[in-house]
Amino acid sequence: MTHPKSTLEIWASVVRREYVTRVRRRAFLVATLLGPLLMVGLVAGLVLLTQSTEEPTKVWVADHVGLLTSPAEDGQFIPTCPTCYPERNMLTYRFGRDVKSREELEAEGFSCMVELDDGILQSEKAQLLHLAPPSGRAKRWMERDFSQAIERVKVRETSDLDYEAYLALKTDVTLVGLDMATGERKGAERGALGFAFSIFMLMFVLIYGMHVMRGVIEEKSNRIVEVVLSTVRPSTLLAGKIAGIGLVGLTQILAWAVLNWILFSALGLVVEQSAWMESWTATQGMTAGTADFATVLAAQDKLAFLLDIHWGVMLGCGAVYFVLGYVMYGAFFATIGAMVEQESDAQYLLLPVMLPLMFSYFLASLSIESPESTLAIVSSFVPFSSPISMMVRLPMGVPWWHVALSMALLAVTAALMVGLAARVYRVAILMYGKRPSFKEILRWTLRPDSGAL
Amino acid sequence: MPTPVLHTQGVCKSFGDHVALAPLDAEVHGGRIVGLLGPNGAGKTTLLRMVTGITKPDRGELRMWGVPHHRDLLTRMGYLPEERGLYKSMRVAEQVLYFATLRGMARSDAERELKGWFERLEVEGWWNREVADLSKGMAQKIQFIATVLHRPELLILDEPFSGLDPINAGLVRNEMLRLVKEHGTTLLLSTHDMGSVEALCDEVILLHKGQKVLSGNTDAVREDARQGRIRVAVRGNLMAFVAELGARAELLSKSTRDDASPIPIHDLELALPDGWGMPEFLAWAVQHVEVLEAVPLRLSMEEVFVQTVESATP
Repeated sequence: MTHPKSTLEIWASVVRREYVTRVRRRAFLVATLLGPLLMVGLVAGLVLLTQSTEEPTKVWVADHVGLLTSPAEDGQFIPTCPTCYPERNMLTYRFGRDVKSREELEAEGFSCMVELDDGILQSEKAQLLHLAPPSGRAKRWMERDFSQAIERVKVRETSDLDYEAYLALKTDVTLVGLDMATGERKGAERGALGFAFSIFMLMFVLIYGMHVMRGVIEEKSNRIVEVVLSTVRPSTLLAGKIAGIGLVGLTQILAWAVLNWILFSALGLVVEQSAWMESWTATQGMTAGTADFATVLAAQDKLAFLLDIHWGVMLGCGAVYFVLGYVMYGAFFATIGAMVEQESDAQYLLLPVMLPLMFSYFLASLSIESPESTLAIVSSFVPFSSPISMMVRLPMGVPWWHVALSMALLAVTAALMVGLAARVYRVAILMYGKRPSFKEILRWTLRPDSGAL
Repeated sequence: MPTPVLHTQGVCKSFGDHVALAPLDAEVHGGRIVGLLGPNGAGKTTLLRMVTGITKPDRGELRMWGVPHHRDLLTRMGYLPEERGLYKSMRVAEQVLYFATLRGMARSDAERELKGWFERLEVEGWWNREVADLSKGMAQKIQFIATVLHRPELLILDEPFSGLDPINAGLVRNEMLRLVKEHGTTLLLSTHDMGSVEALCDEVILLHKGQKVLSGNTDAVREDARQGRIRVAVRGNLMAFVAELGARAELLSKSTRDDASPIPIHDLELALPDGWGMPEFLAWAVQHVEVLEAVPLRLSMEEVFVQTVESATP
C-alpha cells in the first residue's frame, strides 16, 4: 500500500504543510489584508497627529534700530516689507523697538522673541529667545522670512535696483542628474524610495527568518521532530521549512503589491473625480477633463520620478533579493532554533544574526545620499548586506552586471550557509537538556558526523 | 532459519568521546515481539535511531530484511519515539494523513484506513478537532495511529503505554497483538515496564552501557537467570540437614514457620549447582528430611533485569 517517496516528493510535502498551516492562520490573513491599509492609516495618523499637536507660534520681533520696521500712525510698528511675512495659521509676528520681559511675553501670549540689531547684516545671526522652543517647521519659516527681509534691506542700501528687479535677477541653479549610460534621472528622492524598499526587505527577512526559527523550536519543543526525522532527512526538513515559509513571505509581498496597486488606483480615481482636480486643472491652464492622476504626479517636483521608476524591475529584483537573503538568514535562524528548546533561550544567540542585518540597514541609510560611493557599491556586493543595500541603489539605475554579480554571490553564499546550517541542525535538533557549546558547533560544521541514513 | 528482519553486526556509535553503542550483534526475527531493555543511557535510543534512519552507524553492518539498510526501507517501518508530540497548529486527521503521505501512502488509502483506526481506538469525532484540544492520553492514541496507519512490517515502539490509563493501555495493547497476529507485524518494544515485557515479549535484548548483556527467548532468559535456584519447605532437623547438605548446594536463605507444630517446618532457598537438578536433589533430600514442597524459583523480568545489570556493573 506504500511506495517509498523520492526526496523531492517528501520535500514538496513538507513545503505544502509549512505553507498551508501558515497562510490559513487568521493572523496571516489579517496582516496581509490590513497591512497596506494599516500602513497608510499609520502615516496619515502620524501626519494628522503632528499637525494637531503643533502649537501656533506668536513671535515678538524686538527691532532696536528700526532695521526692518517703521512706525505706523497708531503708534505700532509695521514691517517695511509686509510681503516678507506671509499670513500663516501657525506663525504670526508682532513688531516693536523694545525688548519684552519674560512676564510680558507670557502675558501677551508670545511664545518667543527675536532680537535684531545692525550686526545681523554682517553676521547673519540673530538671537531667538523662547518660552517654549518653536517647532522645526516654524523655525525654518522664521529663518526664511527674516532672510528675505534682510535681503531686501541689503538690496536697497547697496544697489540702485529695486527689490523686484533684484528678484528677477536672482538665480537658483538646480542640477538634474542624468545617467550617461541609461539617460535616467537620479536624485535623492529615488534613494529615499530605495531606502523604503530596503526597510521592507529588512522587515521581511527578519519576520520570516523568525518564523523559521519559531517553526524549528516548535518541532523541537513539541518533540515531534524525531517522528518526522524517521521519514524525512534533516536537510530535506530544513529545506522544506525554509521554502514553505519563504513562499508564505512571497505570498504576502505579492498580496501587498496587488493591494497597494489597487489602493493607489483608487486614490487616483478619487482625486480625478474630486473638485480639487477641476481647480487644479484650471490653475495649470488646461482644459477641464484632460488631466488625469498621472499628470498631477508628473507636475509635482518631488513625486514625478515615481512615474519613471521601473516598478517591474524593482519588484522582480526585490523578490529575488528577498528569496536569496531570506534563505541565507533563514538558515541561520533555523540553526539557532535547533539549539534551543524555547524561544526565550534564543535571545542572546540572535545577536550574531541581528548584527549584520542592522549594519546593512545602517549602510543602506548612508547610501541614500551617495549611491555611487565605494561603500554603497561594496556593500551591495557583500552577500550579508547586499539584499538591503542593493535595494537603495536599484531605483537610481544600476549596471545590470552589478545586479547579476551581487545576486550570484548572494546565491552561492546562501547555498553554502544552508549546507553548513544543515550540519549543525541535524545534530542540535535531537539534543535535549543541553545547549551545544561553540566548540561543538564548530566541530559539527568542520567535521560533520556520519549524519542520517 | 528465515532471514531476520533486523540484523546488526559490529554496529558502533559514538558521540564525541562518549561511546553510545559498542560493537553490537543482534537479530530480530519476523512476526515476533521483541523487548529492547536496558537502564537509561544503555544505548536503546541510539540503536532505534539507527534502525529508523535518523542516524547512521559509525562502523559495522546494519541489515534490514536481509539487505544493507537504506532509506527506501523506512516506509516499511513505523516508529513511535519516547519523546513524541504533535503539531499544535494542525487538525487531528490532517496531521495523521500528513505522516502517512510522508511514508508513501496514497491519500485516499490513508483516509480509508484512518476511519477504521478512529473507530477501533474510540476516537471518532476527533477527525477535525484541533490538536491543542487533545488530552495527553488522547494525543498518545493519535500518535499510535500515526505510527501504524501505513501498515508497517516492523513496528518500533518506545514506551508506548506511558501516559495511558489502564483502559486505553489495554486498547493499544490489543491492537498491537492484533497487528502481530493478523498481519505478521514484527514488534520491537523498548520499555522500562517489565510487566508488559513479561506479558507481551517473545524475546528480549538487554543492553547495558552500549553492550548487549543478555538476549533470547523471554521464558528461557528467566529460566537461565534462575541459576538453579529453588524454594523448598522441609520438616525435620534443620541443623542436621544443613550439615548433610554441606557444599552440595548453596543455602541462600532460611526461615522457620511459627505455627506451633511439634516438628518445625523450614522454608529454604537453595542454589543447585549445574548437573544437580530438581529430581536429583529431591531423591537425595527425602533421605534426610520430609520434603513438603519444592518449586523452581522463577524470577520476574524485573529481577532478571536488576540481576543482569548489577552483575554487569563492575
